[in-house]
Amino acid sequence: MGVFNILMADDDADDRFLVQAAFEDNGIHHEMMFFEDGEQLLEHLTSTPAEGRTRFILLDLNMPKKDGREVLRALKSNRELSKIPIIVFSTSKAPDDILSSYELGANSYVVKPSSYEHLKEVVKKISDFWLNTATTP
Amino acid sequence: MKRYLNDAQLYWATRFLFAISVFLIVVLSLSYHSINQELVYYSERVDHTHDVLENVQDIRMKLYQVTYFGRGYLIMSDSANRDGMLRKLASIPVKMNYLAELTEDDSVQQVTIDSLKSSFKVYAKLVENFGYSDPSQFDERLKFDLLRNGSSRTENLNSILDQIASVEKELMRERVLNRDNYKQQIFRFNWAIMGVALLFLLSSFLLLERELKRNKHYRAELENQVQNLNRSNAELEQFAYVASHDLQEPLRKIRSFADLLKTKSNKSLTEESHEILEKIMKSAIRMQMLIDDLLSFSRSIDTSREIEEVDLNEILQEVKNTLQSKIEESRAIIRSQRLPVVTGYGNQLAQLFENVIINSIKYCKRDILPVIDISVSENLGSDIMGVRESQADTIFYTVVIKDNGIGFRMEYAEKIFTIFQRLHGQNSYQGSGIGLAICRKVVDNHNGYITADGEEGEGARFYVHLPKTSPTP
Repeated sequence: MGVFNILMADDDADDRFLVQAAFEDNGIHHEMMFFEDGEQLLEHLTSTPAEGRTRFILLDLNMPKKDGREVLRALKSNRELSKIPIIVFSTSKAPDDILSSYELGANSYVVKPSSYEHLKEVVKKISDFWLNTATTP
Repeated sequence: MKRYLNDAQLYWATRFLFAISVFLIVVLSLSYHSINQELVYYSERVDHTHDVLENVQDIRMKLYQVTYFGRGYLIMSDSANRDGMLRKLASIPVKMNYLAELTEDDSVQQVTIDSLKSSFKVYAKLVENFGYSDPSQFDERLKFDLLRNGSSRTENLNSILDQIASVEKELMRERVLNRDNYKQQIFRFNWAIMGVALLFLLSSFLLLERELKRNKHYRAELENQVQNLNRSNAELEQFAYVASHDLQEPLRKIRSFADLLKTKSNKSLTEESHEILEKIMKSAIRMQMLIDDLLSFSRSIDTSREIEEVDLNEILQEVKNTLQSKIEESRAIIRSQRLPVVTGYGNQLAQLFENVIINSIKYCKRDILPVIDISVSENLGSDIMGVRESQADTIFYTVVIKDNGIGFRMEYAEKIFTIFQRLHGQNSYQGSGIGLAICRKVVDNHNGYITADGEEGEGARFYVHLPKTSPTP
């Protein structure tokens, strides 16, 4: 293992820390890379050849510089990168945010859980699905 | 700051002013009328006196003419002079009768005129006898005597006429004086009426203008208040947004890290630390609930959606579906009459029924199954307690939701609708005390009312009054 990696873009350091902890506690030991905003994430994806190594991206919606929506737009219009599954991972429960994310091509939308126990469950489910079950067309 | 009369004072002031003005105008007008009549009377009397004097002068003239023709006849003994004399003489009684007629109301003059008439009779006899005789047969002495003293035969009559004239002149003086007096009075009354009318008009005008000003002032104040309300509404919405995002974020962290701490350091934590951690987590969960409730309350304020026809039967079914697990868990029985269709906000009305039913299920008795009966009736606004006067004639549907739960004491009937107001401690019944506050907000949005009554241990009844006609959008 350790060949594939999981990317996460979130300006909130606590959330990055919590998600990392949740992955570790679930015994998922993929290489994880964290970015503080959309711009950093896009830079990484376009500068290093993807080679199909990125398994999925956890994407926050509200970030400085380039926000989640811009990242979605950019990635989904890129022929190579559009295949990477994107899970929007946001605090917002607003129907507008959910709907617009799916319209921009998000593969899933998950509201950030309000407890660590819950987060662990969510992370496990996401990983089970996107690492083992699903592939994007 | 100008001082304004209060409404009650103004009410009486205007009525008082009006009454005084009407009274003055009526009194002055009546006086004016009677004075005018006096004036007309005295003017007529003055004219009348002129007539009398003219008539007296006329008689005097005719007497001169009789004397004139008499002298001619004495000298000439001709029929022309004789006929002239007799003709003039004969015309005098008509005049005297007319004179008597004119002075009918004056007894003094009547007496004088009677003596004039009798003196005239004597004189007329004398003149007629002279007319029948032939003056050419008179001797010169008699002729001379007649020429010289003939005119003295009328002296008596003339003095009586003088007497009549002087009495009339005296009357005339009085009457002219009276007439002028009344003329002046009428002038004064004219001014007085005009003055009062002007005063009334002026004060009405001032009052009206002040009222208009006050009205304008009130309107400005009202507009200001509406603006303030709109602003605070917007602030409230802003607050809801802040509560939903900014407040929830750190709260989520508190919960997550407390959780994490518990998971990661499970072994190394002391018993006491575990308890403290538990308390932190409980408080965080409760705060989460409060924020969620606050949000749903602020959402119930929103009336930006379109109003529509809402079938309450469908709403009730929807609510039953939503609450299915709760209903099954508590084995509650919900029975309902056929409910009406109202105009309003469907989602809000669903929230209303949901909250009342949840409330009934939550506060059920432990030993019997909850039974909720929903019935409906129509009531006139004036028959419902606490309905605004403007809605006294409105017909309301009254939906009664009755349960067999623990009820409450009547003194709390109003308190339970206040936001975050709870009758029970957190330990016995969970909740934030927002459910019924939302219900009140929803009926407010529908121009309706919600009340409750109950008895401790005997169940509660909630009355939802919704206008039969549509609420103003």
